[in-house]
Amino acid sequence: MSDPIKKVCVIGAGTMGAGIAAQVANAGIPVLLLDIVRDPADRNAVAAGAVAKMLKTEPAPFMSKAAAKLVEVGNIEDDLARVAECDWIVEAIVERLDLKQQLYTKLEAVRRPGTAVSSNTSTIPLDHLTEGRSEAFARDFLITHFFNPPRYMRLLEIVSGPASDAALVARVSDFADRTLGKTIVVAKDTPGFIANRVGTFWIQAALNAAFELGLTVEEADAIAGKPMGVPKTGVFGLVDLVGIDLMPHLQKSLTETLPKDDPYQAISTIPPLIGTMIADGYTGRKGKGGFYRLNREAGKRKEAIDLTTGAYRPVITPQSLPGAAAKGDLGALLAVPGTTGAYAWAILGQTLSYAAGLVPEAADDIVSIDTAMKLGYNWNFGPFELIDKIGAATLAKRLADEGKPVPAILTLAGERSFYRVENGVRQHLGLDGDYHDVVRPEGVLLLADIKLISKPLVKTASAALWDIGDGVAALEFTGKMNALDGEVMALIGKAIPIVTEKFKALVVYNEGKSFSAGANLGLALFALNIAAWGEIEKLVAGGQEAYKALKYAPFPVVSAPFGMALGGGCEILLNSDAVQAHAESYIGLVECGVGLIPGWGGCGEMLDRWRSNPAMPKGPMPAVAKVFETVSTATVSKSAAEAKELGFLRPSDGITMNRDRLLADAKAKALALAEGYQPPEPPVFRLPGASGRVALEMAVKGFQARGLATDYDGVVSGFLADVLTGGEADLVDTVTEADLLALERKGFAKLVRDGRTQARIEAILETGKPLRN
Amino acid sequence: MQVYDAPLRDMRFVLNELHQDDGFGGIPALEEFTPDLTDAVLEEAARFSREVLAPINRSGDEEGCQFENGVVRTPEGFKEAYKQFAEGGWTSLASDPEWGGQGLPEAVSKLVEEMSCSANLSFGLYPGLSHGAAVAIEGHASEDLKRAYLPKLVSGEWSGTMCLTESHCGTDLGLLRTRAVPQEDGSYRVTGSKIFISAGEHDLTENIIHLVLARLPDAPKGVKGISLFLVPKYLPKDDGSIGPSNGVACGAIEHKMGLKASATCQMNFDDSVGWLVGEPNKGMAAMFTMMNAERVSVGIQGLGVGEAAYQAAVYYAKDRLQGRSLSGVKNADGPADPIIVHPDVRRMLMTMRAYNEGCRAIAGWVSRALDAEKHSSDPEVRQRAADFTALMTPVVKALFTDLGHESAHLAVQCYGGHGYIRESGVEQYARDARIAMIYEGTNGIQALDLVGRKIGAHTGRYLRSFFHPVSAFIEENSGEGPMKPMIDGLARAFGALQLSTATIAQRGLADPEEAGAAASDYLRLLGLVAMAYCYARATKIAGLKLLFGTEEKAFYDAKIKTATFFYERILPQTASLFLQIKAGKKSMMALDQDAF
Repeated sequence: MSDPIKKVCVIGAGTMGAGIAAQVANAGIPVLLLDIVRDPADRNAVAAGAVAKMLKTEPAPFMSKAAAKLVEVGNIEDDLARVAECDWIVEAIVERLDLKQQLYTKLEAVRRPGTAVSSNTSTIPLDHLTEGRSEAFARDFLITHFFNPPRYMRLLEIVSGPASDAALVARVSDFADRTLGKTIVVAKDTPGFIANRVGTFWIQAALNAAFELGLTVEEADAIAGKPMGVPKTGVFGLVDLVGIDLMPHLQKSLTETLPKDDPYQAISTIPPLIGTMIADGYTGRKGKGGFYRLNREAGKRKEAIDLTTGAYRPVITPQSLPGAAAKGDLGALLAVPGTTGAYAWAILGQTLSYAAGLVPEAADDIVSIDTAMKLGYNWNFGPFELIDKIGAATLAKRLADEGKPVPAILTLAGERSFYRVENGVRQHLGLDGDYHDVVRPEGVLLLADIKLISKPLVKTASAALWDIGDGVAALEFTGKMNALDGEVMALIGKAIPIVTEKFKALVVYNEGKSFSAGANLGLALFALNIAAWGEIEKLVAGGQEAYKALKYAPFPVVSAPFGMALGGGCEILLNSDAVQAHAESYIGLVECGVGLIPGWGGCGEMLDRWRSNPAMPKGPMPAVAKVFETVSTATVSKSAAEAKELGFLRPSDGITMNRDRLLADAKAKALALAEGYQPPEPPVFRLPGASGRVALEMAVKGFQARGLATDYDGVVSGFLADVLTGGEADLVDTVTEADLLALERKGFAKLVRDGRTQARIEAILETGKPLRN
Repeated sequence: MQVYDAPLRDMRFVLNELHQDDGFGGIPALEEFTPDLTDAVLEEAARFSREVLAPINRSGDEEGCQFENGVVRTPEGFKEAYKQFAEGGWTSLASDPEWGGQGLPEAVSKLVEEMSCSANLSFGLYPGLSHGAAVAIEGHASEDLKRAYLPKLVSGEWSGTMCLTESHCGTDLGLLRTRAVPQEDGSYRVTGSKIFISAGEHDLTENIIHLVLARLPDAPKGVKGISLFLVPKYLPKDDGSIGPSNGVACGAIEHKMGLKASATCQMNFDDSVGWLVGEPNKGMAAMFTMMNAERVSVGIQGLGVGEAAYQAAVYYAKDRLQGRSLSGVKNADGPADPIIVHPDVRRMLMTMRAYNEGCRAIAGWVSRALDAEKHSSDPEVRQRAADFTALMTPVVKALFTDLGHESAHLAVQCYGGHGYIRESGVEQYARDARIAMIYEGTNGIQALDLVGRKIGAHTGRYLRSFFHPVSAFIEENSGEGPMKPMIDGLARAFGALQLSTATIAQRGLADPEEAGAAASDYLRLLGLVAMAYCYARATKIAGLKLLFGTEEKAFYDAKIKTATFFYERILPQTASLFLQIKAGKKSMMALDQDAF
């Protein structure tokens, strides 16, 4: 792989272009963002405006302020020649072939030969784009189709042409994979590529069927949502989210480019109601409302549109589906009598057979189609995985019984499934009728694959220990939401002697939705509701003991968070020797939000790392104040990069951009530490005691006076201040780690008995929102 | 022999001494009801029970209700007694002053209820059902309906019923068939047959207001398609007087094991005019408002009968001379000693006494919560009180009626052969008490309500209202001292309860049958711990009274002795209950159905 990509140019600073530029910058790569000149006096205004807007957008396109600084703005009139500085040029201007071709003409004159040029088009075929270009340009050209928003959507469809240079395509793909963190799906040069083609068909089929069968939008979404393993918004909710006005555009571009006999042509009518809605400004959440709206005049009442009359009315919760059907048994869902089963069939029958017909037209294999739908449309299962749930033969039979065409690949599958596990390896059915291993990209290690070929070394109800090879063990949380409880701590206790004896290092890792949102609050609340104070104290003390045992174990521990790592999920990182974090890691000590304080050693660990930060002023107070500020406000990082700024990660901790590469990176880090590993020495602190506590309490009083903190916030942060300042200690005393742990336990025990803490915990469990009492 | 005299001293103890620091605080709205005032009410209620209600208890049982040509005649004396009852203002005691009620705290009115249940359980049902109907109407009906019906229900001029059960469905109301068809004027026409309708038809009041569960034409299947309707026997005219008959007819009355003076009717509604109470298809919610209030009242019935049975047993145990005391002659002048000298008779009497005083103490606590839930000015207190009543309602209903029934049978046992003879009057208690374990949701259903709906609600928040005060009390009173054995016993039983609660919550999540298998034992366990807590508090209060001197030494001394008996001879059952719960469902469900 010659010439790594060291600088990127993105042309077109719309939502997609700017978002792509931001993600390049998030990876630490300098990027030049160009757009047209609209204001002669402020020639870079368009690109600069896009960056400024991104700094205010939520969810944030940038992972850190430092990343934003890596974006240099310019315009295509003055700065186009600077593409020669760049190793990859991404074109993301408006979807007009003539304008794109004009730009390419200019680019051809200024770009360095061998610099990759890609278009982010979602609709224009590659052969049209390269029409009239030089052979050299065509060799360096490809389509890189990102999904919106580029930071958060993991899918990248890559389309290359017959003239494309394979090595160059591989270089861009590798960069997009490792550096930008995207999962690459190779698509063919067909309209809509893969995800949008299946996705648009699916949405259209679901909308049409709802109108035809006379379902309400709520009924439709209750069927075409969770039960099918697609986002619970369902289809109407999804269209509201992306914008109803986008529908006619997608529909137009597909009908214009797809062959006349493509099944999409037959269903691609926009229902008149949707036309009216768009014309009246009801374009979804960004407009006056969509299929759903919040009626603010009626006290934020949630309303839905009546598909027959077009009038809004209060949302009616549909009747719940029978158990199995609601829980993802597609056979049961299709068998529900009446409109429910009919609607499910209308969607699945059409969409799955359409998707099945796209191999080999749009993709070489079924895995690409499944991956595209899972990562591009957030389906839990791809079309072929869904077919396996129904049964390929069952689906084929029903299609045939209804006189509908049966896709060749369904016939090929016959009584077989599209996926199987053979000798511990996941395999997919190929077009040759044989099964082939599902090949992971090089350097990708997944616990899911390890689980297929091995059994846990030891497990409890909430955690398991796995051998992940090369002398490294992995500790996985397995409880609901990866919540931490006594069973996790018990596993840590069992794991330590095993790892000590048989392994070089331990990685803390899992493949749930999030690393861990912290202690099992439901369990804790129930325990404290029945006044089982002893159990609560045991949970706190047991967690401290387990985490410290990990910290001082004779082997290195590397934690590998992704998604949320909150409360106790953050404290295990703090007690690890090192962290390898996915870039999308949201880390924080959020205990104060539920009326508690960190109880598993988080206070001491945070103090220890802030006091050793060379940027801190001298004396015991600055580190205390810094930790107090972060923890008392329950601050959560919005990325791994920000977690470094907040001190939850050390400067030396690693960040992995691609989620699938996290385990391999963490394992490598653990092995690197294992050589000559010495456990850390327990820290000893000098803390300010009562005088420091008074200073912190004054600060909280200031917040309270300004209405930024409640009375009870003051009580809770008072206990936090007590721990961080060392309790009864003063500067002449030394405070040990054990002293701080004892202070944590003491504060925790007092707080759990307070009705206001109980109310906060209950609120977060029942509403998901913090209670400010 | 039926000798009932209200236990006023213990009632005043519960009302004025036992629960003063229960955390529900003073309730400003109820401050006008001073002990002087409530004492007068209790005295008068005691007199009324003794002089008016008790004398027609046995005669009512012998005579029963008569059914002829669609008309139900209550036994001799009931009509006159009811007239006095209504005129004396007893029907309106706890009702809202807005509708002519006296707004007396539940803490007082529940004591009055206990008295009427002791004196004459059959009689108590008539006004009791009216009160339940009034509660549902007040909570859910339109203003027009409230204005038209509440004043007369509250005054006792009219009476009420609740019509749920049909011949094919009792516990599972989702199956019910009575239908209601909407009319253009906003009313409904209700058609269907109901059974087991207490006070469905009688001659005590000029009109009877039925609250009927029925289905609308387009209603969903099951319990989510049930609506509640108000259907009067006679349609009132605009001036409130009685108008035309409304197609409501009694088809027959049931021939029952007990409670014979209460008319249990089969009711037929034939295109009867009715009005919706609450929202369409939300009838169960409206009915449950009434049901929850009624369930506490049914618990009080159990206590009432238990108290009456105890008094009858004490009377006989002192009066009946048989054998000699094991520790030597006690009644040298007589041919034999009174049977109260025998340990086994003592066992029975003390058990009954401990049950009654324990239940009364719990009832007092729950009643205070009912008052706080309604009247406290602090929303946090209202919430906690509501949590507590939600938790304790099934416990009061099932525990009190189980124990009341047990007491009634113990009384029969004390009487020996005479207890089995009708003239003794005690077998009536055993028959009357039996129904309270069944109606308003069988005690098995109460236990399921507790483990299924109450334990897990809001991650155990209802439990907090009970577990925290008990835990705090144990912590505050731990250490050396005269209370030590009792606090140790309470702590042990409470620990068993905590562990059982956690076990059921955990197992029940994975397997609801586990929760179902543990339910009845768990309800009893929780009830006994609640009783133990009340007894420990009572003992502490009594101990301080005796320490600092009191003119009522006998009362407080007896309280401590009863409490000690409870701790030594009844509370140990919690250990057994714990083991039963721990055993799980396995042996309960193991036998193949065909093997039965």
